[in-house]
Amino acid sequence: MKLAQRYNRANLITSFIILTITGVIYYIAIHFILTGKLDKDLVIEEKEIEAYVNNYGKLPSPGDFLHQKVTYQKNTSGKIIERNFFYDDFYNESEKENEPGRSLITSVDLNGQNYQVTISKSRVESEDLIQLIFMITLAVTILLLVSLLLINRFVLQRIWSPFYSTLGMMKAFNIAQKEEIKPQVTKIDEFNELNDSANAMATRVRKDYRELKSFTDNASHEMMTPLAIINSKLDSLLQTGTFSVAQGSIIEDIYTAIGKLIKLNQSLLLLAKIENNLISDVQNIDMQQLVGDKVLQFQELFEKDGLTLNQELQPFEVKMSKYLADILLNNLFANAIRHNHSGGNIDIILQAGSLTISNTGKSEELDNQLFERFSKSASSEGTGLGLAISKQICALYGFIISYQFQENRHRFLIRF
Amino acid sequence: MKILVIEDEESLRESIVSYLKGEGNICEVASTYWNAMEKINLYSYDCILLDLTLPGGDGLKILSEVKKLNKQEGVLIISARHSLDDKLSGLEMGADDYLVKPFHLSELKARIMAVIRRKNFSGSNLMSFNEINIDLLAMEVRIKEKLITLTKKEYDLLIYFISNQGKVITKNAIAEHLWGDEIDVSDDFDFIYTHIKNLRKKLVEAGAKDYIRSMYGVGYKLENV
Repeated sequence: MKLAQRYNRANLITSFIILTITGVIYYIAIHFILTGKLDKDLVIEEKEIEAYVNNYGKLPSPGDFLHQKVTYQKNTSGKIIERNFFYDDFYNESEKENEPGRSLITSVDLNGQNYQVTISKSRVESEDLIQLIFMITLAVTILLLVSLLLINRFVLQRIWSPFYSTLGMMKAFNIAQKEEIKPQVTKIDEFNELNDSANAMATRVRKDYRELKSFTDNASHEMMTPLAIINSKLDSLLQTGTFSVAQGSIIEDIYTAIGKLIKLNQSLLLLAKIENNLISDVQNIDMQQLVGDKVLQFQELFEKDGLTLNQELQPFEVKMSKYLADILLNNLFANAIRHNHSGGNIDIILQAGSLTISNTGKSEELDNQLFERFSKSASSEGTGLGLAISKQICALYGFIISYQFQENRHRFLIRF
Repeated sequence: MKILVIEDEESLRESIVSYLKGEGNICEVASTYWNAMEKINLYSYDCILLDLTLPGGDGLKILSEVKKLNKQEGVLIISARHSLDDKLSGLEMGADDYLVKPFHLSELKARIMAVIRRKNFSGSNLMSFNEINIDLLAMEVRIKEKLITLTKKEYDLLIYFISNQGKVITKNAIAEHLWGDEIDVSDDFDFIYTHIKNLRKKLVEAGAKDYIRSMYGVGYKLENV
């Protein structure tokens, strides 16, 4: 739930409850006041009747004025009549309809005879008044609620818009890109604070990232020189004299380890370079030709493991760096060979817009970490960076690389 | 052949020099930018090995100096900068080849030989080792005038061996030379054995001596027997 929505809801519910309670109290109070006034009128009338009886020794004529009626009745039952106010209907002669009324039953003694006196008054005016007050209250309530809604919708939306713009920029924040977070200017302190913090964080994160990256870059660079020296010294060592086969095997192991270290370093440097978009030789590449050339280049390696190759290559051009295209294909081909079993096969299908390389393999389906750095199967002798590099290359040009395991085949698909 | 090695890393420079020396090759060294500039202006070489990161200045400036002096030296850039831009600008400025560190000395030697051949023999381009004669333009191999047919890989391998005659070449270096260093597919290079076996067989059958020997299981060597 959005903050504004939540606030809105609380606001509306509270306003509604308070207004309802106020309305009820208002209604009761007014009702009470008006009834009190009616009763007072009834009492005045009662006093007038009593005074009339005392002065003239007879009952006043039963009156039926507008909104007021007086009736007399002899009390024959001998019971004492209790003085009592009550609500009843009032028949309006002129309008010929029943109206709500208020009556007072009392008694007067005249010449030893007890009379029951009923004085009734119409309540219609006070009811009308209450109704009017009720309508006004209702109208005010509705008006208030509607204006609250509108304020929440439009004003709050405007007030919060800097927040959403900052949020949008934080979502779009890319650590590798240099764009600053440029927040909307606002007079609201909280949002200004948020913007400042977001910017400070972005700057700090970028700085840390840059430092880390340049650290990796420099470390890899610095390692290359000693590696070059070890490599050349080994080459020199081999020329110095005769070695036994046992010594030769040790030297070979050193070569292999150095080779791996060099490969790893080169891969890390390459990754950094792709991330920094430092590879600029973008050109139109005839994929049909390039894939065909790669197949020839890998020919001996296919043959070595007795792999059969099935290729279907249709003409297709793609715009990318030739250098990276080479590396991308090398990695995918090498994987298809490396993780195959002898006598297996490889399918290479190039269509307009997609390249599929699928191969039989030793292992089960690869886990979904396969495009992560240094993720590799236990039996793999590679650096664990090949697919990470492939993915990075694809990301650089907006290609999509995906993996599937179907019918015991590993299948890599690139959509250009 | 006279070769100038411009490289600031002493250990590496020593290895290169000791590998290249002999067989009538003379190596001179320069370890700084100004040292290199001085030698280039004073002497002539067949080939210059140029490191790009030098104390005192950028190696690419040395390259432009060589070109400005209108010298005929072949220039081979050796650099740790595995940067495509450097490679392109180096080649655009007239370098003959570009080799990224770390490299195998045998690869370096083969590249130097190729650069020198291209510089020295415009026209017919012949290479020979005893009775083995290679016409590099026609890509033909003859044993005492008898033409033999080699595959592309066997042909490359033979030239690689002759360029590095008398030196032990590792299987690793051979694989990188033949398949390129970006191809990292095999962890044992035994499949190279087949190619070398076939090459030896073809040479011996055509009447050449068997010059190629396996060395301690690490690599191979072509030498006079």
